[in-house]
Amino acid sequence: MSMGYVLLIPLLPALAFAVLAPMPRTVRTRLVPLAVGAVLGSLALSVAAFLAVWPGGHVGEPTWQGAVTIAHVGDRALSLGLALEPVSAIMLLVVAVVGAAVQVYSLGYMHREERIGWYYAALSLFTAAMLALVLSDNFLGLFMAWEVMGLCSYLLIGFWHEQEAPRLASIKAFLTTKVGDLGFMLALAVVYAEVGAFDFATVLHHDWSAGTATLVALLMLFGAMGKSAQFPLHVWLPDAMAGPTPASALIHAATMVAAGVFLVVRALPIFEASGVALTITLWVGLVTALLAGLLAMVQHDIKKVLAYSTISQLGFMFIALGAGGSTAALYHLVTHAYFKSLLFLGAGVIIHAAHTQDMREMGGLAKKLPVTSLAFASGSLALAGIVPFSGFWSKDEILTVLLHEHQYAAFGIALLAAFITAFYVARLWFRVFTAPTQQVGLHEGHRSMLAPMAVLAAITAVVGFFGPTLGEFLGHEIPWPALGTAAISTAAAVAGIAFGWWVYGRTTSVVNTQAIKQRFPHAYGVLTNKYYFDLTYGYFVVGGYTALARGLATFDGSIVDGVVNGAARLWRSLASVGWLFDGRVIDGAVNGAASAVRAAGARMRTLQTGSVRGYQTLVAGAVVLLVIWILVKGA
Amino acid sequence: MTVGLPHLLTLSAMLFGIGLYGALSRKNAVHVMMSLELMANAVNLNLVAFSRFVTPEAMTGQFFAVFSMVVSAAEIGLGLGLVLAIYRRKRSVELDAMQELKG
Repeated sequence: MSMGYVLLIPLLPALAFAVLAPMPRTVRTRLVPLAVGAVLGSLALSVAAFLAVWPGGHVGEPTWQGAVTIAHVGDRALSLGLALEPVSAIMLLVVAVVGAAVQVYSLGYMHREERIGWYYAALSLFTAAMLALVLSDNFLGLFMAWEVMGLCSYLLIGFWHEQEAPRLASIKAFLTTKVGDLGFMLALAVVYAEVGAFDFATVLHHDWSAGTATLVALLMLFGAMGKSAQFPLHVWLPDAMAGPTPASALIHAATMVAAGVFLVVRALPIFEASGVALTITLWVGLVTALLAGLLAMVQHDIKKVLAYSTISQLGFMFIALGAGGSTAALYHLVTHAYFKSLLFLGAGVIIHAAHTQDMREMGGLAKKLPVTSLAFASGSLALAGIVPFSGFWSKDEILTVLLHEHQYAAFGIALLAAFITAFYVARLWFRVFTAPTQQVGLHEGHRSMLAPMAVLAAITAVVGFFGPTLGEFLGHEIPWPALGTAAISTAAAVAGIAFGWWVYGRTTSVVNTQAIKQRFPHAYGVLTNKYYFDLTYGYFVVGGYTALARGLATFDGSIVDGVVNGAARLWRSLASVGWLFDGRVIDGAVNGAASAVRAAGARMRTLQTGSVRGYQTLVAGAVVLLVIWILVKGA
Repeated sequence: MTVGLPHLLTLSAMLFGIGLYGALSRKNAVHVMMSLELMANAVNLNLVAFSRFVTPEAMTGQFFAVFSMVVSAAEIGLGLGLVLAIYRRKRSVELDAMQELKG
């Protein structure tokens, strides 16, 4: 069977973008169903592609591969290609399902938006790029898709660009991830210098020396840290919540931020060749998981809680990668993509209903929004890690890998992070859904918003049971969780939820956090100031830039402008010489010729007497003279 | 006495002289044109005479004369038309009255 349709999977949304983007606003709005249709088509093809690979596919043996040579560098051909194999097939399914869910959901969420057409265009381009990224069979194509996603992220965060916060957030996100991208780009340069190729097969089977491997792995890790918002490059993700909520669900929770994890999954053999890089990855993940979890505890904005939770869960994936468990990381990536996008979509319904993002103003939504609260409960339990929801299985798999690798310190920190996760999930749940009602006129979301949530909630509830199947597919065993590990992690999760209930859930009045603030003023201050990361970056990085910019402005004003103005002045004096020459010599010659002709004409006109007989006399005289001349000279 | 080439040339020269005098002396445009016609016919006479006496076998001169007569007939038609047009504007055909083309 021909597998050429795999090419169509990223192409369909890309075409939707190409059609929508150049249209005027009103036409774009009418073409929105086209974008939704394109992503649904991609979803259908993705399912077909997945079924073609599963069962029977093997990692590293593409079921289908297609490449095109785009350039020749010296005597080496540079080709971009797509390959369908188990890892990309699973990711295709994740991206297409979440992408389709978000686009359908947005029909309801964004329908009052005037620029909905542009929103869908950017969303389609993003989906196309992410699908191309997971299908890419080489680092170069992956990087290109990666950059396109960065652009789409920027566009969608800044979608409401007439407001100050989204605009600043979009710039911050773009620049911060760009810092990471620089690492990725340098890594590609080193890879090319070392291997002379970009495709995964060649690069990963290269005989890496430990030093070069460490260099490449750390540069790639830096890129991944920027994209996946790991400490200390995490600062952009919470601010990115200024974008539309469904876009946050797709880009800043489920897919794009997972691209960093995906990169490390792809490049893991290089990390393993290095060894040091693995340890660093592990600790980046641990620090991120713990610190972001702590930050999520003090946020009042429901989207920011979810954003820090995303950072923390991405940290879990890096922990798994650092322990060498690429399958566990990918497993958590998949489950997280489903339940976190579900949580964000739920948050969207809540924000629509409550007209605020501040959890202190919410409460009692469980009774008013029954479907949403049910779906949200599925996502929350998955995030907290309660059996049988998906997060439990994948988090357990990560803990198992840590134990297997004898990383006991890491195991302890991860367990603590899991406890914190459960706590802030409980805090969110009890504040929003069970606390006393503070508002009137709450209403459930539209059908087009609830249907995608129901699908995601169902996936979240059952996908965990497919862990062993997934492991078999990916060529790594994912065993059913050992009873001991499962008991410990469940204990941590239940303890977290219980603690959350004790603080936020057991009273029937709205919790006043003022008391907690007063009891731990320093700790609370550090957390609400986000460990002073933004302030530090603002002072050193932005401040340094400002000083540098000021210096450069002075240089620009005095020296560059001086040279430019001097050149202009010189040119002007040259031009005035030219003007003189033009006026005197050239104009003189032209006018002189004209006045000479005029003077000659003035003389000649006297000949023209107008008298007929005068002319006759002249002619006769001339004839006489001619005759005389002929007679004298002889014919 | 037989009429020879000199007689014909003499007659032609006389006709031409009369025509030239008339063309230079008359004020009336019609008279001037009549004089011009006289000069043209003097030339035609020359052509025929030379044809008859110098190259009697070839008819060149006679054909040329006929051709010349056709041309001068056309020319005189045009000239008279012009004179009529001028007369309509000025109620006069005096050459001295026509000074408009003075440069």
